[in-house]
Amino acid sequence: MDIRLAEEGRWRFRIDRTDGMRVPGAVLAPRELLPDEPGDKSLEQVANVATLPGIIRASYAMPDIHWGYGFPIGGVAATDPAAGGVISPGGVGFDISCGVRLLTADLDRAALLPRLPELMDRLDPLIPRGLGKGALWHLKGRSELFELLLGGARYAVKRGHGVPRDLERCEDRGAVDDADPSQISERALERGAGQVGSLGSANHFLEVQVVDEVYDKDCARAFGFREGQICVMIHCGSRGLGHQICGDHVRVMDGVMRRYDIHVPDRQLACAPVDSPEGRDYLGAMAAAANFARANRHILADAARGVFKAVTGSGLDLVYDVSHNLAKLETREVDGTRRLLCVHRKGATRALPPGHPDLPDDLAAAGQPVLVPGTMGTASYVMTGVAGNEAFDSCCHGAGRVWSRHRAHREMTGRQLRADMRDAGVAMKPISWRSVIEEAPGAYKDVEAVVVASEHNGLGRVVARLVPLGVLKG
Amino acid sequence: MSEDRVAGDRPVPRPPRGHRSVPHTGDLAVEAWAPTREECIAEAVQGMVRSFADIPDPAAGTPRDGEVTADTDAQLLAAVLEDVIYRMDTAGELPADVSVRPTPDGVHVRYTMTGTETVTQIGAVPKAVALHGLRLAQEPQESRDPLTPREWVCHVTLDV
Repeated sequence: MDIRLAEEGRWRFRIDRTDGMRVPGAVLAPRELLPDEPGDKSLEQVANVATLPGIIRASYAMPDIHWGYGFPIGGVAATDPAAGGVISPGGVGFDISCGVRLLTADLDRAALLPRLPELMDRLDPLIPRGLGKGALWHLKGRSELFELLLGGARYAVKRGHGVPRDLERCEDRGAVDDADPSQISERALERGAGQVGSLGSANHFLEVQVVDEVYDKDCARAFGFREGQICVMIHCGSRGLGHQICGDHVRVMDGVMRRYDIHVPDRQLACAPVDSPEGRDYLGAMAAAANFARANRHILADAARGVFKAVTGSGLDLVYDVSHNLAKLETREVDGTRRLLCVHRKGATRALPPGHPDLPDDLAAAGQPVLVPGTMGTASYVMTGVAGNEAFDSCCHGAGRVWSRHRAHREMTGRQLRADMRDAGVAMKPISWRSVIEEAPGAYKDVEAVVVASEHNGLGRVVARLVPLGVLKG
Repeated sequence: MSEDRVAGDRPVPRPPRGHRSVPHTGDLAVEAWAPTREECIAEAVQGMVRSFADIPDPAAGTPRDGEVTADTDAQLLAAVLEDVIYRMDTAGELPADVSVRPTPDGVHVRYTMTGTETVTQIGAVPKAVALHGLRLAQEPQESRDPLTPREWVCHVTLDV
């Protein structure tokens, strides 16, 4: 597709409508954050998304945009089901409800540092990650897996894992309604059954961090942390179950699109009307995968809590748990009327503003925490939602890759990475140094530039900067 | 396609079958080529597995057989790769070797499997096959010597 990119001031670009685009593209990133690897197709993907039936306002790209398939990573699109709007599994991504969970310990850096080696040595063998089998929770057969797919983190708490407060600080209080496990294939169920409580590989991690700087003390207080406090951040998703569901339903929609007279420029954008049997089936399966992902992060966090308690005497309190790969039916005001929209966020975080009714009472004044992991050698950020967000209350989800995995291996060696991490004061526990090269800090955009661009585009406000002390990678 | 590597001014013929991974910002892309469709699929399996797993003794392993069917060649490629991912996730096994032969509706795959616990992870582990850019096809005849058999080529993007 022919791309006409126009700069709109310092902080954003517009992609003018061409070919089959129904709305313009809005790339909420300054020039220095635009993809520049040869062959990168992420801006073309923003334009492709703009062709989806029923899309309204614009096809948005967050500042951490990078190349995905179908949607770019960092893509946001809302469709109007009442106007033939579609749901696209590719607009959610393979790792359904991949997300981030942040917890705090009642400890400061000085109190933790003498205990950090023991803490990492005990977390290392406990947290399943990387290639191979292994999970923390061994479910009792298919019936318990179904309970988990319906109840998410709520079911985990009911079975004695974690505490009820964990649910108050999880999106949707731990579980998405309307999950329909009957729309999940046998293969997906088999893949998920043995993976509850496992990190996976690639960019997923469990990090011990410290709050390096607080920019908004009132928000930080409401969220539950202070400068100098120790935190744990967990990034992972719905593992093989979510990937299989995405693949299965993309194939179904790829086969029925013509029946609905839908034509898309990339098969990975396969979609069906939200209000169609195929659309409803996917939404039910997707919700079940989201519940799996929340339970997965919940179980990993509860295991980390146990280790923290044993080594330091401090437990872990949940700040928040966000999903950054999900589609949700949300009511939004569009052109002066309230409309129920299907908001796709693929590599983008929901960012509810202060006063939103879906926020827990103790966050009503502060807004929703937005968790933005950076890299294992630099920093991560906590932001909060703000009013007037044009991208349907969405914000960035991370730093965003700039290097291919090939380039990471060209630019970095395991020896150099090990030295860099040591110099940065980060205790690393990778499954494989060769594998973790692909996650070298240089492989990502500058996360500070990403959150600054998010602020300038009215997507959120920065609350705090966190830096890593210990990293587990798969 | 058979002379795409160049050293100085002299084209270097590439082997009649093989695979390579291709740069992709977020994920993993694999290309493979071979004289037959089935060999090309087998090369793609090797390309995917070798991108993230160092298998110590490819000769040792347990034989496993599977039947895979699909409506198109590209879907057949995706289905075989998904079968490998499924077996990795559920049985903890990876193919140290693989052979593929045609059947009336698809292919028969014979894997020589090794346990993932014996494998060294050297890259991000794939979890799904994308339809984006998915291709398995015989190279057009017109660009080739008519006496040379046409080769099969494929391209696939894998989510990691």
